Amino acid sequence: MPVEFKDYYKILNVPRDASSEDIKKAFRKLARQYHPDVAKDKKAAEEKFKEINEAYEVLGDPANRKKYDELGSQWRDGAAFQPPPGWQRGRAQGGPGGDESFEFSFDGTGFSDFFEQFFGGGGRFGGFSRFGTQQEYAGGEAGFSRRGSDLESDLLVTLEEATRGSVRALTLQRVNRKTGQARTQTIKVKIPAGVTDGQIIRVPGMGNEGIGGAPPGDLYLRIRFAAHPDFRVRGADLYYGLDLAPWDAVLGTKVVVPTLQDRVSVKIPPGTNSGQQLRVRGRGLANGQSGEKGDLFVVVNIVIPEQITEEERELWKNLKRISHFNPGSS
Amino acid sequence: MKRKVNPGEKSMEALQPVEYSARATYTIEAISNLAQVPRRLIVLYYKHGLVVPTAESLGSGWYFDDQAIHVVKRIEYLRTECGVNLEGIKLIMGLMKEVERLREELRFFQRQ
Repeated sequence: MPVEFKDYYKILNVPRDASSEDIKKAFRKLARQYHPDVAKDKKAAEEKFKEINEAYEVLGDPANRKKYDELGSQWRDGAAFQPPPGWQRGRAQGGPGGDESFEFSFDGTGFSDFFEQFFGGGGRFGGFSRFGTQQEYAGGEAGFSRRGSDLESDLLVTLEEATRGSVRALTLQRVNRKTGQARTQTIKVKIPAGVTDGQIIRVPGMGNEGIGGAPPGDLYLRIRFAAHPDFRVRGADLYYGLDLAPWDAVLGTKVVVPTLQDRVSVKIPPGTNSGQQLRVRGRGLANGQSGEKGDLFVVVNIVIPEQITEEERELWKNLKRISHFNPGSS
Repeated sequence: MKRKVNPGEKSMEALQPVEYSARATYTIEAISNLAQVPRRLIVLYYKHGLVVPTAESLGSGWYFDDQAIHVVKRIEYLRTECGVNLEGIKLIMGLMKEVERLREELRFFQRQ
């Protein structure tokens, strides 16, 4: 099945030579606009949000972006996409015997076929694509039978979904290469609250078909957290970058920061430095099945004004004159 | 709630959507059947820290999750298809875990 090329630059509305900072900004802006929790038309926003996320997964990672640029170097808008020779499929698929005669496509994972093929997690350790193919001898004169090999796919989950839990419908289409006959199966997968990034969900019997009456392989779904416009994730902890004016950092202040559920007021103590982390306990993600919550870290980033008035300049000059602070002199 | 999986579970010809839960847990016998790996090998993998039962199950017999089946199948692939011995398997699985962890770290810092 030929896949449709995805123009990720167009999706994020950035030029092809955009800096990584511009890409990040574009993602944040669009992700805020289309976040399923805030948008009015949830259904349409959800699709758009997934698309933006996918584009950011690729363009936001220098290695993936390089790979993508190479992959798309020959592609022109509107033209059919043919991957250059030597590009392997990302998704684990195929194996000895009858497995090769089917092609698969998923719908509902949150990732396009294009992404799955070239950037998906199934191929990260591609050498395992034949696991689950141990031979079983069916006994008697019938020869051998072989269990079908397994399939792997990523499943995009928003942080909000991971917190609340959800049910996702997935559609798996198998096309017989020889006959062109397609068969579609739909499954519902329950994402429990407290699911963790990278967690595996096994869907029995949804892998490749077995040979000689042997059972089919399984489908393994790997949870992948969607990038969030406000938070970064590390384990069960969330990190929020807070831009702060120099005087607020020096004098201390109170700020209101968002959490996944609501907002909290955080006290910035006087003399807070750039890079310093302030912990808000229990406002992170649920940590697996225990339900114990991670923390929210507010990471301070001191921002200086780019343009100042004449009066401000005088005040800074005054400050320089009277201050004994000289960080470079130690 | 623990769902003990019947080793001989049916393959699905799903016309109707069927619900699967990520919270399924399996006995060691069920894992042994599903991954087609002898029970004694799973015990061996456990002793070497390659698979761990779910934290909740400790004390009430062993129960494993989907992740454990995935790991056992990978080990089995290394053992049977690649001919790697236990020491090699430990090394490879450890490295893979480390690569995954570093990838996560990289993602975290790239998004800063």
